[in-house]
Formats: sequence, structure tokens, C-alpha cells
Amino acid sequence: MVLLLILLPIAAGSVLFALPRGERLWSRVIGCVVAAATFALPLLDPNGGDFSARWLSRPFTASLHFSWSGFSLWLVLLLALCTFCAILATNAAQSRTMVALLLMLEGGMMGVFTARDILAFALFWDLMLIPPFFALIEWAPHRETAWRFLIYNFSGGLTLLLATAAFGILSGSTDVIGGTHQFAGSWAPWIFAGFAFAFAVKTPLWPLHTWMPNTYAELPPPFVAVISAVQSKAGLYGFIVIALPFLRSALVEWRWLLVALALVSLLYGAFVALTQTDTKRIVAYSSLSHLGLIVLAIASANPVAIQGALVYIVAHGLFSAALFLILGYLEEREETRSVLKLGGLGAVNPKLAGAFTIAALAALGLPGLAGFAGELVILTGVFRAGYFWPALIALVPIVLASAYMLRLLQDVINGPQVAALPRRPDLTVIEALAVAPLLAALLLVGIYPHALLAAVMR
Amino acid sequence: MMLLAIWLVPLAGAIVNWAFGPQLKRAAGVVGCVALAVPFVATILSWSAATQNAGSAVGMHQALFSWMPGFDFGLLLDPLSLIWALIITGVGFLIHVYSVGYMWNDNAIARFFAYMNFFVFAMLTLVLSDNFVGLLVGWGLVGLASYFLIGFWFFKPTAVAAARKAFVINVVGDVAIMFAIFLMFAKTGSTSFATVFGHVPALGNWLFLVCVFLFIGAAAKSAQIPLHTWLPDAMEGPTPVSALIHAATMVTAGVYLVARCWPLWNASHEAQLLVGTIGGLTALAGALLGIAQWDIKRILAYSTMSQIGYMIMGVGVTAYQAGVAHFFTHAFFKACLFLGAGIVIHELADEQDIRRMGGMRSRAPVAFFAMFASVLAISGFPGFAGFFSKDAVIFGALEHGHPWLYVIGIITAGITAYYMFRLFFVTFFGTYRGDLDPAQVGVMNPSEPAAHEPAHGETHAPAWLMGAPVAILGVFAVIAGYVMIGANSAWNRFFAQTFPSANLAAPAISEGWTTAILFVVMAGGIAIAYVRYATPVALADAPARLRAESQRLPAILVKLFYFDELIDWLFVKPSQALGRFFGSIFDPDVIDGGVRALVGFNTGLGTLVRGAQTGLLRSYALVIVFGAALFAVYYALQGAAR
Repeated sequence: MVLLLILLPIAAGSVLFALPRGERLWSRVIGCVVAAATFALPLLDPNGGDFSARWLSRPFTASLHFSWSGFSLWLVLLLALCTFCAILATNAAQSRTMVALLLMLEGGMMGVFTARDILAFALFWDLMLIPPFFALIEWAPHRETAWRFLIYNFSGGLTLLLATAAFGILSGSTDVIGGTHQFAGSWAPWIFAGFAFAFAVKTPLWPLHTWMPNTYAELPPPFVAVISAVQSKAGLYGFIVIALPFLRSALVEWRWLLVALALVSLLYGAFVALTQTDTKRIVAYSSLSHLGLIVLAIASANPVAIQGALVYIVAHGLFSAALFLILGYLEEREETRSVLKLGGLGAVNPKLAGAFTIAALAALGLPGLAGFAGELVILTGVFRAGYFWPALIALVPIVLASAYMLRLLQDVINGPQVAALPRRPDLTVIEALAVAPLLAALLLVGIYPHALLAAVMR
Repeated sequence: MMLLAIWLVPLAGAIVNWAFGPQLKRAAGVVGCVALAVPFVATILSWSAATQNAGSAVGMHQALFSWMPGFDFGLLLDPLSLIWALIITGVGFLIHVYSVGYMWNDNAIARFFAYMNFFVFAMLTLVLSDNFVGLLVGWGLVGLASYFLIGFWFFKPTAVAAARKAFVINVVGDVAIMFAIFLMFAKTGSTSFATVFGHVPALGNWLFLVCVFLFIGAAAKSAQIPLHTWLPDAMEGPTPVSALIHAATMVTAGVYLVARCWPLWNASHEAQLLVGTIGGLTALAGALLGIAQWDIKRILAYSTMSQIGYMIMGVGVTAYQAGVAHFFTHAFFKACLFLGAGIVIHELADEQDIRRMGGMRSRAPVAFFAMFASVLAISGFPGFAGFFSKDAVIFGALEHGHPWLYVIGIITAGITAYYMFRLFFVTFFGTYRGDLDPAQVGVMNPSEPAAHEPAHGETHAPAWLMGAPVAILGVFAVIAGYVMIGANSAWNRFFAQTFPSANLAAPAISEGWTTAILFVVMAGGIAIAYVRYATPVALADAPARLRAESQRLPAILVKLFYFDELIDWLFVKPSQALGRFFGSIFDPDVIDGGVRALVGFNTGLGTLVRGAQTGLLRSYALVIVFGAALFAVYYALQGAAR
């Protein structure tokens, strides 16, 4: 079953290339069906879905071992949901290629999130970087963006691979994810550094973030929705399932650095988001800020904070996917991403404005929506772990978030109507359906986050 | 069940109005009013259960669900939340009825009632929650409702800016409460009121810190110095919104919070001093700023800020009954003042500058009489509602050992009487000045008329829709204080089981003398206002006098003590400068420049590699991903075969 999760999207993506180039309907239908299937599969059997096969015996044992139980389940579901919504929202002339790449992206990331072997994790880590690279080459206005994405992230992939190899050789096996035994020894800090670098680039963590704003701004919206919502979580997932259980002592030793970088990311992203004028770059920098909060939770290594991190990982996935899809709709309609040129759309496109409002409110941590639950529980845990000042400082970006998110929202939907903007119809049914599940999930997780945790903690 | 009905019926109203707005049109107002009448009746029916001692604690309690491990949600209706719930639903109902008339010709009337009902739901969440997290959720949601309603006319740039300002300043308060929650959770392992208040000693030397952070939250919501600057701007919203949210209910949430947390305040003398002082200073500052305003709603906004200062001072010095009493009476007379002002504003096609009013006594008689009662009430005229509660607060300050706050309270009472009667005389007396040239009465930038989009086929709402609520509130502005007469009053008995009774030594100045002093000071304020604005000579010369006053107002009052500038220079400008520096200098030049220098990554290399790639993208993608998949399948099968 679990292999199907990985292979089905990749196979379907490959098959789609057989369709004619300009095809727009069937590629989306097939894509949606496949994504829906990957959403349904783990729900049919939440505890099962374990596959294991010996891969290497020397110099260390490694297995192609995949499972979707526990923490993986929510990331798998988040990924399937976001992919589904992204494919539904794909409406470009090249939707065949886009859907194909999205499916391959999904397959690669499914491998990352279900791998129970660190080597398999590392293999799929590199695989998941390839579809966005091609998407950037194909659609980004500046080709440098693609290369910067690739060089940064493959550098991370390289240190990940080296760290994995060292881990395997020294401990004898990489088929360990899900276990908790400690890896000690003089190599531990170096191995931790290798993992941490890869994870920090992908998240991203300051100062390794400069590939991210351009990538997020220039990728087509369906792509950036999946990348920012789910792929950015691969690093955080890695921290939680690899670094925390196996390299805890190294993490504890270096946590001051992680805490510091997390706080800098939190503040830096928020300050920059205050002054950007490009809608997608505002959200990109807000992402830098928001994900710093999860790194802070991980660095505190407090169980309450980790619970909060899980909620916030899902919450951020949902609202950033929704935000980027909505910004995509906006760009498609108004042909600009500059908040200086936009304005007054609430009167013309009330549905668009409503969806945008909910997503922005979730992003700024409105109580009752998912983001708030994550923030509150993370910081409660961080504080309980003894981090008085970090918890206090981490409140500043929450205030800043309300300022930049409302600026973004109001500059677009409020104020007098701008005469120069084209008046386009409101959201179509398909467009609305593509964001509705994300918004509904934000509300559900916000009201009752316990459900999410119950499945993981059991 | 009863509690759930009180809590959720307004939410249901909001959802119905939101979902079926286009079909409902003006019927949305009926839905909105019913959604308040039901919880009001339910609250009254719950009265005896909420005030009885049911086993361990006073009130009705209902556990709901576990939000997160360690965070349990439930509802609590005890005397304190009962009073708030009564005002929210009762006064709220009257304001909703009034709104049907006020928003009669607005196309977005359904959206308006959806927001209003949502606000009531959020406010009830705040006061009915049995724990700090639920309170914080309500705290944030009322901020959201306030944001939506301030920015209700979202095509007005001033309304949009005011909405954002209110929201952001309120988030400062939200995160402060969040931090207080961290402190309490770390020390007591819980966020429920019962547990935290049962373990006050466990907070140790963090007690004061908890109080400080809770109070920052209270100050942001209740417009206490220096977090008050959003409230006057919030008057951009429709007038019923100002009455309900920015006068009667939401802005008193800070008073509720301090009163609710009395076990913390009772234990921390520093916190009493801090909160009492801030409350007193806010009362004084609001009153001073009220002198120099011309916009009728902004005068009322500053008076609201000032009156909440009194309430905060009361609960801050641990005179909880008195502080809450002032909330109770204030809700009636201030709502009445705002709604009366709304009638005047409606009558004059959205004119809000009192210099361009005058002679409204004959044009709006209901507003005249109701507002007269309310102005007397807010001034503390004996026999009117505000008299009893304001006296109690001011005397309470002395009783609890704060003579300076006592003095500030008395001075403020005099100023209050002056500026409220100034508003009253200038608006209702003399002759109408709206047909004069604006410059003649000192108005340099006359506002654009007609804030709302005129609908097709405007009709007039029945006059009672707006008149009746104002009249009823005017009656309560007289009688609401009668429950507070005497030491053994109904009010004190009602709260006997809620707040601790303090055995206080009789202060140097007795309560009787305090009443006498207050009466003299208040009468002085009224007399000055009368001489300046309402003598026959002054009325005959009104335009010239108003013009002269406009030109002579002291700059420090016109500039509102420079609070806005201060916040701008201390926080807004530095944040923007940092953002610009990070975004356009640090990111591209320092970080990227460093990386380029480090790895020799330059465009030349990029060009070289990219030359080999163009044109074959899809096949590349296919080959790489498919190849990897085959690789995986091969080993998988190998593994399975073994």
C-alpha cells in the first residue's frame, strides 16, 4: 500500500507526458484523481501500510522501508491535500506539464515523509528537488532563480547524504526512523551538522534563506503552494524524526545556535515582510518568520513545544498553500503582484476577498484558527523548557505578522477601487473548490487541534 | 444547555446573516435582533443558578472539551460574567434594534448584522470562558469583529487605516496575555481560572509579572495610556458599532479581566499601584483631550477612554464592586449618548462636527432628552446612574489608600462635567449653524458628506426603531444606579460571594464629604460650560466664539499629547527602516554577496551549465524521476524476492 503512495503519482506523472502538449482537461482530471487516491489510501488504513525490503548489507544495513504511521500520517495527508488543491487550481496553458511535475513532486515527497530508513529518506530528498527545479527552468522569468534553488538545496542534499553515510557506517544501520536509540560518539556533532545544514537550507533558516524569496515569487502558484506548504516541512520533519531522537546530545549542545538562528529568522522575516511590495515576496518572508517558530520549538526539545510544532506544521501548510493559491488567482486577474498598484478588490471580487481574508487571518495567528493553536502551544512549551527571553522575543513577530498581513490584505481588497485595474469575474467554482478544503481544515484544526495530536500520540 | 444557548445563538445568527445575506436584505436585522433576544432571555432565566453556590463554587459551570492536552475548555456563568452577559445581550439587543433603523438604506445591511452578531458571540466567549485560553480566544475574536466593523465602509481609506491600527494595537495586548499564560502555565500547570486562582502562591515572584502582562492586554483592549490611540480613530465605524463595541462592551473587557483576576491583584500591591495609577491617568488624559475635540463621536470616544480609566482605577485599587458598578451604569448612559449622537448625525446627513450643529433640541427631541439624562449621568449629577458608581470608585481609591488617585478622580469629574455639557450645549442649543460657511465657525477641512453608498429607492425607517432604544437607555441612565444605594445595597449583596470583603479603616474624608466635594466640582464644570456656550449672549455670538476657540486650542491637546507621533517614531518607523535595510541591502549584498564570494557562484558559471540544458526539459524530468522510480522498484522487488 505504502509503495503505491510513492509510485502511483510518479507513474501517473510520467504517463501524463504522453498527452498532447496543450492538453488542459484530462491532465487535471487524472491529477486530481491520483491526488485524491493518495489522500484516501492512508485514511483507509491509518495504522498499516508498512513496506520493508533489504537494500544494502554492506558497509551498513539499509532498507527500503516505508510506513505512514504516526507523525508521517499528517504530513502525507497534508501533502495529498495540497497537491489535490494545487492541481485543481492549475489553469495555465501548460497545465499538462505542470500537473505532471506536480505529481512527480508529490511522489518524491511521499518518499521523504514515509521513509523509515535514513538512506531512503536522503534518496527521496534529492528526488523531490528535481521537479521544482524543472518548473523554475520552465516558468521562472529569471533562470538564475532555478540554479540558485538547485545549488543551495543540493548542497544540503550533499551534506545530508554524507551525514547519512557516516551515521550508517558508525551505527551499523540506517533503518532506524521511528526508533529512539541515541547515537553518541565524537562524530555526533559533525553528523548533526550535516543533517542540520540540509534541513536548515530547506526550511529555510536564516541566513540560508536567500534562495527562497525569488523561488517562491517566480514559481507558478500551484507549485509554490506545494513547495511552501509541504516541501519546506521536510527539513522540520527531518529535525523531529532524525535529529531529535538520534542526535539529541549534539542538538542539546548546539541548541543555543539553533535558538539564536530561529529567533533571527522570526524577526528578520517579519521585518522584511513589513516593507516588501510584491505580494508573493511578502508571504515568502512571512514563511521565513513562521517556520523559525517551529525551529525554536525543536531546539527547545520540550514535548509540549513539539506537540505545538506538529500543529503548526499542519497549520502553516494549510494557510501558506491557501495564500499562494489565492495570490495566484489575484495575479492571473490583475496582472500585477505589486500591492502599490492593487486595491479595492473586495467590492468587485467578494469571494476572492473572503477567502483571502480567512487565509490571512490564519497566517497572522487569529485565535480560533489553526495558526494560533500552534503558536500558543509551541511558546508555552518553549517557555516551560526554561527559555524565558526567547519566548518573550518570539511574541514580537506575532504583532508584526498582524501588521504585514493586514497591510497585504487591505492594500489588495480594501480602499477605493483602482481605475487602472482590469475588472475580472470573481472566483469560479473550481477555483473556490481548490481553496475551500484548506480553509475548512484551518478552522477545524483551530477549533479542535486535539484530534490531530491524538492520532500521533496514541 | 442554557449556557450553550447563550453562547452559540449569536453565532448562529451571524452564520445565517452571512450565508443568506443577499436574500435576507433588511430581514437580516430581524435575524440579528432575535439572535440577541434569545441569549438575553436565557441569561435572565439562568440568574438564580448563576448566583447560587453550587457545591464548590458559585455559578453554573459546564465543561466542554479538551482543546489540547492540558488545555480544557468550559463555560462559566457566575455573578461577574452574568453582569457582563446581561449588558452584552441586553444593551446589545437595544443597539441591534436601533441599527435596523440606522443601516436601513445601506446595501450591506446583512454583512453588518453578521459582523454584529459575530461580535456578540466573541464577546460572550470572552466573558463565559472558564479559562485563560478561552478568554484569549474571545479576546482575539472581539478584536477581529472590531476590525471588521471599524472598517465596515471599506472603500474609505481612513476607515481602513483605523481598522488596521486598532487590530495591531490589540494584538500587542493579545500577545501580552499569551505571555501571562506561559507564566501561569509554567508555575501552576493549568490555564483554568479555578486552578490558577487556587495556586496564587505558586506564582511566587512572578506574580507581579503575570499582573503586568495581563494588564498590558487589558490596557490595549480598554484604551488605557499609552495604548489608547486606536479608540478615537475607531469612530470611523458606523455609530451603533461605536455604541456597542467601543463604548458599552468590548472596551470594558480590561475591567472584566482585572476583576476576574482579583485573587492575583489582591496579592500584589505593586500591581494595584500600577493599574490604579494608569487608570487614574487615563481618566484624566481622556477628559483633557475631550475638551479640545469638535467631532461629536471623538468627544464621546475620549469620554469613553476617561470613564474606562475610572473603572480600571476602581478595580486596580481592589474596589472591584465599584469598578464593575461603573461599567454597569456606563454601558447605559454611554450607549445612549452614542445612539443619540447617531440620531443627530443621521438628521444632518452624516455631519459630525458639533460646530456645524446647534439648535438640535427641536429637530431631535428624543435624542435631546435622552442625552440630557445621560450627560447628567456621566457628569455624576446626584440621582443619576453615574453618580452612584463614580462616587464609589473615587471614594474607593481613598478608602484603599490612594489619596492621589482620589484627587485625580475629583479633578477629572469636574473636567468631565465641563466637556460633556460643552458637547450638549453646542449641539442642542442656539440656532442651527450647518448652513453657514464652515470657515465661519472655524471648520477648516469640512468632511465629505454621505459615508454610505446611497441605495436605490431610499426609504425612511420607522422613527421608533431608533427612538425607542435611545429612550429606554435614557431611562436606564437615570435608574441604573438605584441598585447601588447604601452599604448593604442589592449590588453589594449580589457580589458578596464573588469578591472578597475588605475591612478598611475609615479614611480622613468621609463618603458624605466626598459626595459634597464632587458635587461642587461638577457644578463648577457645568457652570463654566454654561457661561461659555449657553448664556443668551454666548448663543447669540456662537459662530464667532467657536471660531475663536478653534484657533486658540492649545497645540498639545490638538496633537493629542503627541502619543501617535511617539509610537510612530519609537516603533513604526524603526521597524520599517529595519525591514528595508534587511530586504534591500542585507539580503542581496551581505548574505548573497558573501555566498558569491565564497563559492565563486556567478552568472558566468550559470550560463555555461544552462547552455547544455535548454529545450529538453520535459524529457529530462521524465528520465530522471522515472529512472529513480525504476531503481527503487528494482531494489524493492529484490528485497521482496529474498
